[in-house]
Amino acid sequence: MSVELWVAILAGTLALAAPLVFAGIGEGFVERAGRINLGIEGMMIMGAFTGVWAGSLGGPLVGLVAGAGVGLVMAVGMNLVIHRLHANEIVVGLAVTMLGLGLSTYLFQLWIPSGETNVTVQTVPRADLGPLTDIPVIGPVLFGQSPLVYAAAVLLVAAWAVTRFTRFGLAVQAVGSDPDAAALRGVRVQRTGASALLIGGALAGLGGAAITVGTIGSFTPDITAGRGYIVLAVVIMGRSRPVGIALGALLFAFLQSFALLSQSTALTLPSEVYQSAPYLVTLVVLVITSRRQLRRLYRSTTGRAAT
Amino acid sequence: MTAFDRRRWVLTASVVVAVIVVAAALIVFAGADPLVGIQGLVEGVSSSPYRIGEVLVGAVPVGIVALTLIPALRAGVFSVGAEGQIVVGAIAATAAVFAVESVTGGAAPGILYWLVGLLAGSAGGGAMALLPAFLAVRWRVNEILSTLLLNYLAAGLLGWTLRTWLASPDETATPQSAKLPEAAALPSLLPGTRAHWGILLVIVIAVAFFLWRRSAASTRLTVFASRPKLALRLGATRSRTIYSTMLVSGVGAGIVGWIQVAGVNERLLNSVTGGVGFSGLAVALLGGLAPIGIVLAALFFSALTAGAVGMQSATGTVPSSIAEVIKGVLLIGVACIAAYQRTAVAALAPAAAPIDAEHDTEPAHEGGRS
Repeated sequence: MSVELWVAILAGTLALAAPLVFAGIGEGFVERAGRINLGIEGMMIMGAFTGVWAGSLGGPLVGLVAGAGVGLVMAVGMNLVIHRLHANEIVVGLAVTMLGLGLSTYLFQLWIPSGETNVTVQTVPRADLGPLTDIPVIGPVLFGQSPLVYAAAVLLVAAWAVTRFTRFGLAVQAVGSDPDAAALRGVRVQRTGASALLIGGALAGLGGAAITVGTIGSFTPDITAGRGYIVLAVVIMGRSRPVGIALGALLFAFLQSFALLSQSTALTLPSEVYQSAPYLVTLVVLVITSRRQLRRLYRSTTGRAAT
Repeated sequence: MTAFDRRRWVLTASVVVAVIVVAAALIVFAGADPLVGIQGLVEGVSSSPYRIGEVLVGAVPVGIVALTLIPALRAGVFSVGAEGQIVVGAIAATAAVFAVESVTGGAAPGILYWLVGLLAGSAGGGAMALLPAFLAVRWRVNEILSTLLLNYLAAGLLGWTLRTWLASPDETATPQSAKLPEAAALPSLLPGTRAHWGILLVIVIAVAFFLWRRSAASTRLTVFASRPKLALRLGATRSRTIYSTMLVSGVGAGIVGWIQVAGVNERLLNSVTGGVGFSGLAVALLGGLAPIGIVLAALFFSALTAGAVGMQSATGTVPSSIAEVIKGVLLIGVACIAAYQRTAVAALAPAAAPIDAEHDTEPAHEGGRS
């Protein structure tokens, strides 16, 4: 395989990882607060649709904001149903995913009746970093990216800082590891969990919009193709930590980028192998992570029993 | 269970109202008259015997998946893998039927084909379900995520299968297998419709679960969901519970795979599952994990899908995907109602599947943080 191809694959990896990092950072807060948002796939696809629709009216930035807004609204509804009406988190999450998949298809078919050509909107313009882009290999991979990639990197650092150094970050941690103890210490459990879910929803919506407005420029039903589930898996792999989440997202994105460009490689495996590889590897890594966490759990319990 | 719990009825009524309001709003948003839409919906479901047959045909897969999810959901095991299990069951059944045809030279009687198809489908679906069960038992891999990811792998397997070893020898517009031998098809139950004998299987399964509900095994699962340690004393270990409940749902989904191939499409298609994955879970919960409720809920879901197509043609503007939106809203509503109910569904609440090992409630946790 040629150098150009590897450059294309690696550049594609960063571009494809950005939406996963957005949604993953959000879900990281949700899971560190001891919750799980199974509606993330629905929120991402609604964000993806809204991003294109709003983007066609007001440009890419408006599209991204609208996508995040839709995710936020869905998370507000979800929080209400789960914590005011005490509905099961898992059932509601799956229902929100079902709703998002259905509603995005419905609205899309209303917007563009079948038979008409799909609308393509302007995507986020690439950052122009001048001479840096001309550096061989590193230039096109690192410096020829969409601003969304850099935004994802900034968000990553911000999330790490928030987790480590802010009152909110510590409150999320406390609520997630022991809600009762956190409540005794004066942390508002419900409110902290709700805030985490709202952040998760907004970032899931943004992640969805980043898929369409960021790179593709148009929406088709089921365009997220299970990215939401990948995000959930990535967050577990990364143990809800920003850096771990980013690494998981990069792994999945690399395989996906590889699959997209596999036609031009010399390897002649069936195309389904490339398409399935990201999901398979995610599953394998998930198994390895779960196994390691289980071992750690046993070690900690037996260790304490001995003392 | 208090049948006249006022709060529950108020909640149920508000869910029904919410669903109707959402549906009407979506229709109006599409620039159509809700009354015309409802009329189209009713016509789509009942205007001809063929359409009634379509409702029955559509209720079969979702009904069987939902019925066979009863044990898993009772135990608080959330398997979302029906989609992939149907696919593997359908591939296995199709391959087995063609194998029988080539071995017997096409002279096999229908009953042999059905038996082989049923068994192969069950085996395929069951095997596909045992994998996430194994991962959950052995390494505590969250079964929701593993089944969701496996669905995508199954889709890849199906795509490859239809392109290679089970591909139709004829040139076709969409990837598909060759047509099954005539004798392998499930006979029609109602002439002039696609309604097939598989419908009777739903009734058999429903009756079986109706009887099973009163058994000790059923109670053990309910106990497992809320008090795993107590269930352990009743003989319901974690591994036995997860393996058995996921196997039942996998076999059910595998049978659906065979039925869709032998009864409806007469060949293996890419669209064999028809998106039953989430619908099956929704129908099981909507039916309150009770067999009769599930059968009714499955008919309702199927009627909604068929009716939405009627609505689309009556109004001309309302996309039939309105059915999916309504199902989602309905499922959220059901989750709210279930939270108030002290029935089997409410038992799900504390059973939220552990997303990482640290939140688990196994004996290993004894010395944990406290």
